[in-house]
Amino acid sequence: MSGSTLVIAGRIINQLVRDRRTLILIVVVPLVIASLVGVSVPDKSILDYTAPAIMAVLILFFGFLLTGISFLRERSQGTLERLMASPVSRLDIVGGYLLGFLLFTIVQTMVLFFYLIYVIKVNYYGDLWQILVFQVLIGIGAVCMGTFFSVLAKNEFQMVQFIPMIIVPQTFLCGLLWPVSQMPEYLQWLANVLPMTYGVSGIRELMLQGQDLLDIGKEIAVLAAYAVGLLILSAITLRRGKG
Amino acid sequence: MPEKSFSGPAVAVDNLSFNYGRQKVLDGLSLEVPAGISFGLLGPNGAGKTTLIRLLVGLLRARAGTILTLGKKPSPRTAHLTGYMPQLPSLYAELSVIQNVEFFARIYRLRNRKQRTQRVEEVIKLVDLWQDRNKSVTNLSGGMKQRASLACAVVHNPPLIFLDEPTVGLDPELRVHFWDYFQGLTRGGSTLIISSHTMDDAAHCNRLAFMRDGKVIALGTPDELRQATGQAKATLEDAFLYFIKHGGVNKNVR
Repeated sequence: MSGSTLVIAGRIINQLVRDRRTLILIVVVPLVIASLVGVSVPDKSILDYTAPAIMAVLILFFGFLLTGISFLRERSQGTLERLMASPVSRLDIVGGYLLGFLLFTIVQTMVLFFYLIYVIKVNYYGDLWQILVFQVLIGIGAVCMGTFFSVLAKNEFQMVQFIPMIIVPQTFLCGLLWPVSQMPEYLQWLANVLPMTYGVSGIRELMLQGQDLLDIGKEIAVLAAYAVGLLILSAITLRRGKG
Repeated sequence: MPEKSFSGPAVAVDNLSFNYGRQKVLDGLSLEVPAGISFGLLGPNGAGKTTLIRLLVGLLRARAGTILTLGKKPSPRTAHLTGYMPQLPSLYAELSVIQNVEFFARIYRLRNRKQRTQRVEEVIKLVDLWQDRNKSVTNLSGGMKQRASLACAVVHNPPLIFLDEPTVGLDPELRVHFWDYFQGLTRGGSTLIISSHTMDDAAHCNRLAFMRDGKVIALGTPDELRQATGQAKATLEDAFLYFIKHGGVNKNVR
């Protein structure tokens, strides 16, 4: 990580801190959705079972949205071009975005998690810190995914199309609505290559079965590989000299 | 003062061609810009001025031909030696003027905190925004945004500066202010490459390249280009029309 990465991350944090309305929405929107989840699920045992998966999907959704739209905005207002003409490397730009938005994704994750646990009273097993660490990993993946797809999108319309294309299939196939094992075989195959399947599986094992991070090594490895892969792909796609 | 270790031409372009898809934007373009002058790229919209500047700062990659800026191919390794002011202000809207300039100062490797703070203050004062330094860019007028954008482009005191239509949308007073500042930069040893489609701007440049349809149709000082028309009171506009009518590069002027 170079100094430029930290400078870019610092600038992103500065920007969002000065944009009070966005900052408030970052905190309030997860609370509204978590409240809706809390009041709309009638059975407490169903809520306990579904809440971890819903949490994982929401972290993916918010992280993807926040990073994706912001990165695209950087392109449309011309500041990305200005950065690309400066001495910073592509990895510095993508890394700076990852670090900057990760902070806000972590804030959203914490808000969502503590609200569901302490206000909505979702029961869980396992260590709190281990659950949070895993959720942050999902957040890192979401930020990397948001960055990658916003690099691919040329305008806001294309980015908006990526939201249903990337988020909705993962929501249906990750095991939130019904178990992956009960899906048709070809859908199981598809579910098993999507990162959210591992996010939901890992968080369920931590929160419902009280397992440790060491027990969900496969899930952690897949999510980390996705994050690193998407980060590298973003930097490659965001090439200088692109017409 | 800018680095002056390089003694050759500030910019050397040879037989440069560039396409956007099937559309040819630059067609076998060649030019050389000596160091320490203001060099104007003049031409109508669509002449290829912005594309040429984007190639020179390394944002686009040439399909054919060669580009050397300060003797090297444009790349992130040489980017700290160049300043770039895009056509749009391209600033972070939520941040203040001083935060924007400070950010670009850090990105362009002004690492010493004390020197950076001094330079940021100096450059904001130069563009006459010191009173408004804490205002968010969102709350600035168009002219103020242009000035803030200029401050970001020159904060690291680069020897080679690319300014893409820097005076568009400026009132006449501010335009004069900008040109005074540009002339100060060339006196300090910087080379300025300025694109414009107004002949007002052209008259301020030390040398000009008239561009049309991706080609340079004439090169020379404003006086040389005016004289080439053979009319005693020819304006640069007359000269531009003359070269369009007679086609191709005027060898005498070049």
